[in-house]
Amino acid sequence: MADPTEWTLQSPPFDSISQVRFSPTNPEHLLVSSWDATVRFYDSSEIVNEQKTKFDHRAAVLSCCWENGTSAFSGGLDCTVRHLDINTETTTPLGAHDDSISSMVWSAPQNALITGSWDRTVRSWDLREGGTPQQQQTMPERVYHLDIVGHMLVLAMASRLVRIYDTRRMDAPLQERESSLKYLTRSLACMANGEGYAMASTEGRIAVEYFDASPEVQANKYAFKCHRQAIDGVDHVWPVNALAFHPTYNMFASAGSDGTVSIWDPKAKKRLRQFNNFNNAVSSVAFNCDGGRLAIASSYTWDEGEAGAKTAERPAITVKKMGEEIKPK
Amino acid sequence: MVLAKHFKCNMCPRRLNTAGGLAVHIQQVHKLEPENLPRIENAIPGRDGYEVEIFGMEGIPAPDVADYKRRKEIELGLAAGSISQPPAKRPKTENRPMSEEELKAALEAHKALMGAGSNEPALAPADSSSGGVYGAPPQAYAAAPTATPPGPPVAMPPGPPPFLPPGVPGMLPGQPPYPPPFPVPSFPPGPPPPGFPMPPFAPGMLPTGMPSGVPPPGIIRPPFPPAPTFVPQQQGSASPFPPPPPTNGSMTSVTPTGSSVPATPPPPTPSSQPPSTPRMPVLPVPALKQVLPSFKKETDLKFQDPNFSPDELRAYNPKYCIAKSTDKAQQGEESRGKKRARAEDFL
Repeated sequence: MADPTEWTLQSPPFDSISQVRFSPTNPEHLLVSSWDATVRFYDSSEIVNEQKTKFDHRAAVLSCCWENGTSAFSGGLDCTVRHLDINTETTTPLGAHDDSISSMVWSAPQNALITGSWDRTVRSWDLREGGTPQQQQTMPERVYHLDIVGHMLVLAMASRLVRIYDTRRMDAPLQERESSLKYLTRSLACMANGEGYAMASTEGRIAVEYFDASPEVQANKYAFKCHRQAIDGVDHVWPVNALAFHPTYNMFASAGSDGTVSIWDPKAKKRLRQFNNFNNAVSSVAFNCDGGRLAIASSYTWDEGEAGAKTAERPAITVKKMGEEIKPK
Repeated sequence: MVLAKHFKCNMCPRRLNTAGGLAVHIQQVHKLEPENLPRIENAIPGRDGYEVEIFGMEGIPAPDVADYKRRKEIELGLAAGSISQPPAKRPKTENRPMSEEELKAALEAHKALMGAGSNEPALAPADSSSGGVYGAPPQAYAAAPTATPPGPPVAMPPGPPPFLPPGVPGMLPGQPPYPPPFPVPSFPPGPPPPGFPMPPFAPGMLPTGMPSGVPPPGIIRPPFPPAPTFVPQQQGSASPFPPPPPTNGSMTSVTPTGSSVPATPPPPTPSSQPPSTPRMPVLPVPALKQVLPSFKKETDLKFQDPNFSPDELRAYNPKYCIAKSTDKAQQGEESRGKKRARAEDFL
């Protein structure tokens, strides 16, 4: 590979990658959940580049998240929430949802894991209480995505519903919104500065939204088209599969089924960079804790059903160095 | 037992059985410090260290064995777990003439099955333990009501060897080898190396540093709509739990009623497939059903379902479908990542 600022990881998963997540403490440690029913733990540095551990699951894993540098969680089609101990390489079931677990985040202030599921609930798990969901909230629709910044928890659901919660008072949502995008919500990420979030749809479009409900702040929200291409007068429009905010600069990366990753500056409303060298849909992206790396998972995302899986390229994980070029001007 | 000595010392012609043996040889014969050992030549990248001690087929780390089996399954197009888990036992069959009552009960069961399960033929997989009964004409069913496994003739040795899933080409005598049922072209035969290289860049790769794409600023949304009106009334809102997902209602209804004969053959169910899971997800809140908005200009939208995410559709594919079990039976399940522990034992 010619580009010295990026490299691909050795021993990637055999099937599509559902999520990549960098460790909150170690800038090289990467957790990868996959449809091949594994969660893999990599040392992603250019020199080591090695799969350290593999956690086998009963079914495809849709989501994973870190608690700290040695402890993580996973969930997927087998409906079970699992705790993964990176050091002892063991998994411990914490409990279960009634349907597949689609998304999970760790809330550091609450010291709790928050999981969202297609069973239309969000549950929070306090490890200190050994297993039973400490809290469960019923949602109007299947929960697709969760993200959290500070106490603000954002839920993106089917039927384009959005709810915003304060994790300290989970009994009622702070706000209930309808997505400003007209198509199925495909990804969500909270701004690192805690002012708002970005969400994207299956129809190549990203919305930048703010928490503050005052009209002055809400006037700043906007949406724009991306991950599309006009070929012979026909607009080809791909889903935006993942979004990730940079931990310090507050710009974000978007990943599309068109095989490109773009870096956007939400304040200036400009694209800073585009990487379009992936021969596959990009299914997940993540910045590491110091913002110096971007992990890019390219794998088939089922946009064309089973037929597409036969012609798709194999999954790959690319780690890319991020320098000053992505700093907002 | 004669084993191939795979580990060749690159300083002399000596060959050794294990990585550890090679390490000791290099340290003692060639007087190299343990930390200066050369990487093992010709090894797969990432496996050129001395940590894992494999002698013959003993000592292969469990995750790697699982990996290998999983890869083979993908290669052969088999369902997950068909190699890594032993095949289901043959159902016990009883060869004796059936009484009048049993025949009646069997007929009832069959009628119920044909009448009730209109969607069942679609569910019926090519399942070797019960497939012969499904889709058979009624007279054939009445003639063979005990769900005899089809396929291998009676004269062949009883049962396929363990750990060989039905469907592996050339494994069953008397059956011509046939290609795997679901060839997956993206995984060509032959074990892929663990770190296959990225395909070359697309030729049209843009030089980086081209902030050409500017988000169209014209799409400023109007001020926010006031009160959200989309919250549906929850029926029976006293219960915080959602209604259970639709599960095997249709299968329970086909059980014959009033048959007390113990030897009644149960209505055949596809045993190795989760019978409760429909092929398509069901919309849980029909009131919130979305419709795909139309486009002003000609558009090729790559994903078109307005109500289910690609992940949900994928989860209903037989390749990924598993029986939903929320019981705590798997509490004791432990990860099999023992690589680190092994390495520590060795050092």
